[in-house]
Amino acid sequence: MAAREKYDEALVVEQLHDPKLCKIAFGKVIEHYSSQLYWQIRRMVIDHDDANDVLQNTFLKAWTNIDNFRGDAKLSTWLYKIAINESITFVNKKKVMNQLSIDDDESFLVNQLESDEWFDGDQAQINLQKAIATLPEKQRLVFNLRYYDEMKYDEMSEILGTSEGALKASYHHAVKKIEQYLGENE
Amino acid sequence: MKREDSTILNKYGKDPGFKVPENYFADFNQRMAEMLPDVEITPVDVKPTMWQRLKPFAYLAAMFAGVWCMMSVFSHFTNTSNLNGVSAVAEKMQDDNSNVDDFIMSGSVSDYDILSYEDSVAMSNEENFSDEE
Repeated sequence: MAAREKYDEALVVEQLHDPKLCKIAFGKVIEHYSSQLYWQIRRMVIDHDDANDVLQNTFLKAWTNIDNFRGDAKLSTWLYKIAINESITFVNKKKVMNQLSIDDDESFLVNQLESDEWFDGDQAQINLQKAIATLPEKQRLVFNLRYYDEMKYDEMSEILGTSEGALKASYHHAVKKIEQYLGENE
Repeated sequence: MKREDSTILNKYGKDPGFKVPENYFADFNQRMAEMLPDVEITPVDVKPTMWQRLKPFAYLAAMFAGVWCMMSVFSHFTNTSNLNGVSAVAEKMQDDNSNVDDFIMSGSVSDYDILSYEDSVAMSNEENFSDEE
């Protein structure tokens, strides 16, 4: 098996602006980021097929706007921003299609979880996902990025455009709400 | 320090229970790369210009030149105040064509020395004059 080529972000960003190499370079971006973006999207939209669609849209959007990416921010920050916006837009659209209120996240996401054939969690995992689904959208995002991805607050701040202090407060409130929900519903 | 989410972490862990089909990511990467439409890319000259590459060295050279200039000026002032030794002054004074102004200007010669010197010159001139007569 051929050894996997080492990913050099500075080189890839340079190649993304070279008309001859940009497509190959973007292929490397897809290979490098697809997994971490997928899991972030999946935790937002829950269903695998939906996550697949959103991930595809994320890369398509990034590719069609690649000319606007000038390397001022990190590529990962830029991709995460697109992925999060695409996930939120997708969830809201789907709720409208299902004639649910935009604020009615819990029942929608729990239904998604229970109908997803690619979910094989136990009751504890279902309970945790239900607890996360009760959080407001921003707190849910912050919780997922911090709890599952262990993302640093400064990076999260760049992606979400919120101060580190506000993010820490959001995470703290999210943890308390989840603990309370789990305490009441076990 | 205890993590604030340690209660959740200890009880539920980090596996959310989500799964993906086998080889999903490898298939996705290939499929995604193949479906990318053609887009117009404006080439960006990300290579630094000659000046951008030389700028740090130019600044460094200018800094050393500045330090050298300051050292030269400082050295010049400290040397002139020393008169560079008495022997050089004596040599200069023995020369008939010499001008002692520099020595006087240095501030190391008192008024008494100047008057004595003028007297000795006058006397010498008188002697020369009487010899000629």
